[in-house]
Amino acid sequence: MTGDMTEDTSPGTRFVAEKLVKTFPGVRALDEASLALEPGRVHALLGENGAGKSTLIKIVTGVYQPDGGRLLVSDGAGGLTPVRFARPHDAQRAGIGVVHQERNLIPAFSVAENIALQAVSTRFGFVDRPAMRALARRCLDQLDVHLDVDRPVGSLSVAQMQLVEIAKSLAVDSTVLLLDEPTASLTGDEADRLFTVVRRLRDQGHSVVLVSHKLEEVFAVADTVTVLRDGRSVAEAKPLADYSRDQIVSLMVGRAHADLTLQTRRVERQATAALELREVSTESGHRDVSLHVQPGEILGLYGLVGAGRSELIRAVLGLDRITSGTLSVHGEPARIRSVGDALHRYRIGYVTENRKEEGIFLDQPITRNVAVTVWRRIARAGLVRESDERSLVETYRERLGMRIADPRQLAGQLSGGNQQKVSLAKWLAADCDILVIDEPTVGIDVRTKAAFHELILALADTGLAILLISSDLPEMVTLADRIDVMNDYRVVGELDNDHDYRATSQAVINLIHSGAAV
Amino acid sequence: MPASLPEPDVATPPDSEPPPTQSAAAARRGLPFWANPRFGLFAVLVVLVLVFSSLRPSFLNTYLTLVPMQADLSVFAVVGLAQLCVLSLGHMNLAVPRMAAISAFAMGWSYQHLNLPLWPGMVVGLVVGTAVGAAAGWIIVTTGANSFVVTLALDFALVGLVSLLYSHVGDGVAFSVHPAGMDTLRIDTFSNYCMGNVCGPPVPLIVPIALVAVIAVGLLFRVSRVGREMLMTGSNLKAAQLSGIPTSRRIIQAHAMSGLLSALAGFLLAINSGAFSADIGNSFLLPSFLSPVLGGTLLAGGAVSVLGTVLGAALTEVIRTGLNLLNFSVQALNIYIGLVLVAALSLDRLRHVIAERRGSRP
Amino acid sequence: MTTATGNAGLPPDFRRARLRELVRTPEFTLALIAVVGFTALASTTHGNLLHGDTLRSVFQYLAVPILVGLAQMAVLGVGQMNLSVGVLTGFCSMIAAWLMVRAGLPAGVAVVAAVLVGAAVGAVNGLVVVLTRINGFIVTLATMTIIDGLRYGVHGTSTFQGYSPDLVRLGQGSILGVPNPFLVAVIVAVLVALFFRRAALGRQLLATGGNPLAARLSGISNDRSIVLAHLLSGLLAGIAGVVEVALSGSVNATIGDDLLLPSFAAPIIGGVALVGGAVSVAGTCLAALIIRLVDVAQAQYSIDPSWVSLIVGAVVLGAVLLTQLRTRHKGTGT
Repeated sequence: MTGDMTEDTSPGTRFVAEKLVKTFPGVRALDEASLALEPGRVHALLGENGAGKSTLIKIVTGVYQPDGGRLLVSDGAGGLTPVRFARPHDAQRAGIGVVHQERNLIPAFSVAENIALQAVSTRFGFVDRPAMRALARRCLDQLDVHLDVDRPVGSLSVAQMQLVEIAKSLAVDSTVLLLDEPTASLTGDEADRLFTVVRRLRDQGHSVVLVSHKLEEVFAVADTVTVLRDGRSVAEAKPLADYSRDQIVSLMVGRAHADLTLQTRRVERQATAALELREVSTESGHRDVSLHVQPGEILGLYGLVGAGRSELIRAVLGLDRITSGTLSVHGEPARIRSVGDALHRYRIGYVTENRKEEGIFLDQPITRNVAVTVWRRIARAGLVRESDERSLVETYRERLGMRIADPRQLAGQLSGGNQQKVSLAKWLAADCDILVIDEPTVGIDVRTKAAFHELILALADTGLAILLISSDLPEMVTLADRIDVMNDYRVVGELDNDHDYRATSQAVINLIHSGAAV
Repeated sequence: MPASLPEPDVATPPDSEPPPTQSAAAARRGLPFWANPRFGLFAVLVVLVLVFSSLRPSFLNTYLTLVPMQADLSVFAVVGLAQLCVLSLGHMNLAVPRMAAISAFAMGWSYQHLNLPLWPGMVVGLVVGTAVGAAAGWIIVTTGANSFVVTLALDFALVGLVSLLYSHVGDGVAFSVHPAGMDTLRIDTFSNYCMGNVCGPPVPLIVPIALVAVIAVGLLFRVSRVGREMLMTGSNLKAAQLSGIPTSRRIIQAHAMSGLLSALAGFLLAINSGAFSADIGNSFLLPSFLSPVLGGTLLAGGAVSVLGTVLGAALTEVIRTGLNLLNFSVQALNIYIGLVLVAALSLDRLRHVIAERRGSRP
Repeated sequence: MTTATGNAGLPPDFRRARLRELVRTPEFTLALIAVVGFTALASTTHGNLLHGDTLRSVFQYLAVPILVGLAQMAVLGVGQMNLSVGVLTGFCSMIAAWLMVRAGLPAGVAVVAAVLVGAAVGAVNGLVVVLTRINGFIVTLATMTIIDGLRYGVHGTSTFQGYSPDLVRLGQGSILGVPNPFLVAVIVAVLVALFFRRAALGRQLLATGGNPLAARLSGISNDRSIVLAHLLSGLLAGIAGVVEVALSGSVNATIGDDLLLPSFAAPIIGGVALVGGAVSVAGTCLAALIIRLVDVAQAQYSIDPSWVSLIVGAVVLGAVLLTQLRTRHKGTGT
């Protein structure tokens, strides 16, 4: 870090990112985006996927270097000094700590050692353990968190790990703390506790930057807000109180949130259920789960993270054991022992939540990604023709509007939305009657999202039974015909969706919190 | 061959959506013909052959050099394929040498004690190799343990077992029986067989056997469902499982294939050396990795190159033979082969870096 | 706010929990196996094992397996492998002998030089891995081939003998009944343990092995960790080489041929994971001892030596199965 210039911006500003520009091949990820942070404030950084949030964070934390603009850090005497972060370590030394989505902890190390990792004190090259523990305790105390500092981090819960990460930033005297989607994998209670810690940090004079997709929690804890759209700041360090939720959303989206005119779809409720679970209990802990979905119907499965929705699907697909109850497909009792069974015998497809890890094969061509479920069908004498695969891709390229240059292109080179389409295409290719779609639009930009919603509705209209898992309540209200609400590995209630967002979301939230069984 | 495809573009920021056509074009642009490792291998091969034959004209002598070279190449190409099968999963098989050894024992034993003819005896050995490979795969699948550890331990155990078998059940260290046809297979080339005045080429009789293996494995990974599903399993185990691929079965099958090919390599070596003995397979471990890796197969799984493996085996064979003719000692050979490996891999790396730079920063 | 959410609280009886944890460690199991094995061996051979010479040879020849096991463990800690451990040990032996016999250097200088050669080769391994970004397995596979050739380059297939009688006397001697090579191995093991447990550098190595991204964001150079781990591995292989020189009194280029597999067997049986991030010096040493006991049993009962590798291989496979069952039993807690 170098710099001798002193600037006068508003007094008390702790950190400024000014007109940052960052281009990647073919994309201007940041186009003069700015961010200014003051001490003692929780600052929300908002924007749809693709708006440039991650790029901005990576520049602020020294992972990327900007192509234009500059970074300024408070020099402690009321002025600001320009800085350059050549690597993450530089940002840390400037007092900018980050709690990443990926857990940046070393599992085999103790809590104390993880907290003190950057600030490790040594004597003659040896780690000073008592000093390390004392530092860790001090940081945890500052957060009012009580943890055994000698426990290996690998044995902690996700929420606890996150607290350790925050403590880790405090250990190097970070005055700016970036929380990148901190509640993505926390339960409601854990998130509440995290925000208690966040408020505490604010009251101690830290600047906290909160990046979140959940506007509810943003409004609950943030004081000021910066909204990014297409790489620019469309609202910069404004008091959050000046905005309504709808105003923020329209800032993010760029147009007034034109609510879709949705009519209730007509579903034949009397037909035999395509998939029915009756009082199913599983080895992963579900108890007496009953649900059914008709052909042509979209059943929403809503719940907070950790409610056991994806785990329920694992049991349906034969990945976890069903301990009691019955599962029937088209009225016939089914015994599904593997995904292969589910796919080939019962025509159940599962569009996974975690695209990169479970959905697609990044280093394989699109042809194979799409054809993987149907090789068994298109193979002649065990041999697969590439031309068959290609025509398959062509079919779905049109039907799903995939933007691809060449079917032999690697899936890893596609954008998130197109990757999701590829992972959907493989199930459509497999000719499934029942499609489980798990969090279809996570990490997908707002326009692609709308296209996806139309696609899902169109699929249901062709007679597919769709089981939709989503934590995105607006999405649920947009798509589902009925919503089953899950909590703590049980279905706690069911409601018909009349597509009135306010009333339906209210009812869903009430169901989760009442915990009343059906 | 479905070979080393470029790695996903790491420079793309995760939250930006690059126009796909662009990066596809970049990927194409980033892979000019010379970025294909097989091309580089082939070029090096040609240069080496020219160098050696100009230094020692006897390098091109049919019966002194070319015929033995082809025979050796047959063995080591198959050895490379044995490793390649599990590399497709991102696994390793350190027990290739001993899978070959125990299969060769089974063959020798069935010749000696069951008086089986050459081919049925070979089949017995192939079955044993396949079974041992399948067992390795089964242990890996059921325990979820690292293939390295499992096959290392298996190799350890088989080292002992093979030598115990030879000393207790066999005739010491080798079987003395030569089934009918074995010596013909070793000595003859197709030039010994004539129709009228037209004789076959000076190609050893075992070459077609290796060729069949090469073509079969090539077809397996290129066009067959099973082979592709193995590659998908290697590319992303979870996604493969959730796409309905019976991943456990594919893993076991790939290891069984590896065992089968190890056994075949053992058979070919026994034919070449003229005896089914305890030291068969001892020299297999290094070449088994050398050929596929030189040929551009990644250790990470998901992509293999059968043709590259054959070229890789040919390269090591040419170096070996050439340096031999130049009177280098056996040990010194190793130094050069090791250096070639380091150089080849570094060049490959460099090529990738250049290709990536050209591709992703137009 | 507290963590007392039920799922994270400490068990009521803290000390007993710690004890239970200790009993559950692989090291405890290994120690138990070693003690039981040793006792069984001692009693079935009518105390023959406790006889001075036999006992001494048990521990004399334990030194090299411990050292090569630690050499492999050092790289496993950062999630790498070193296939050149075995041949490097042999190469260093040949270098030490050559320096004494051919170059006429005093034993002390030769020993230090050979160890340094080991460290240098290790550093080269590490540098090639870091600079080319090629998988460490492949790099060391290549260097293994090269060093294998170099090993024979020193003196062909002939044997060096009759070098420094003092060194050999030292190698075959003992202090207070403890054979010197074993003493060296124990001291080295303690130092290595200290390095990985307490030294800032050692912790950085493990941080790299445990989570390279987190290590990098904490200002740790993963490249440096990898080079350092390979260097340490080479250094330990070098020490193993000179111990071999001192112990055996004559060396040739075949030394190290049979060390590669044991170098993996000791840490793996000792509970060191291949993914990196954690090492166990005690586990590695105990595993080496167990393997040595199998060896001794073979000699004592005059069994075919082939049984040794058969049994060790079966034991490793068994250990793999057991560990897997244990972690499965524990569930996803860790």
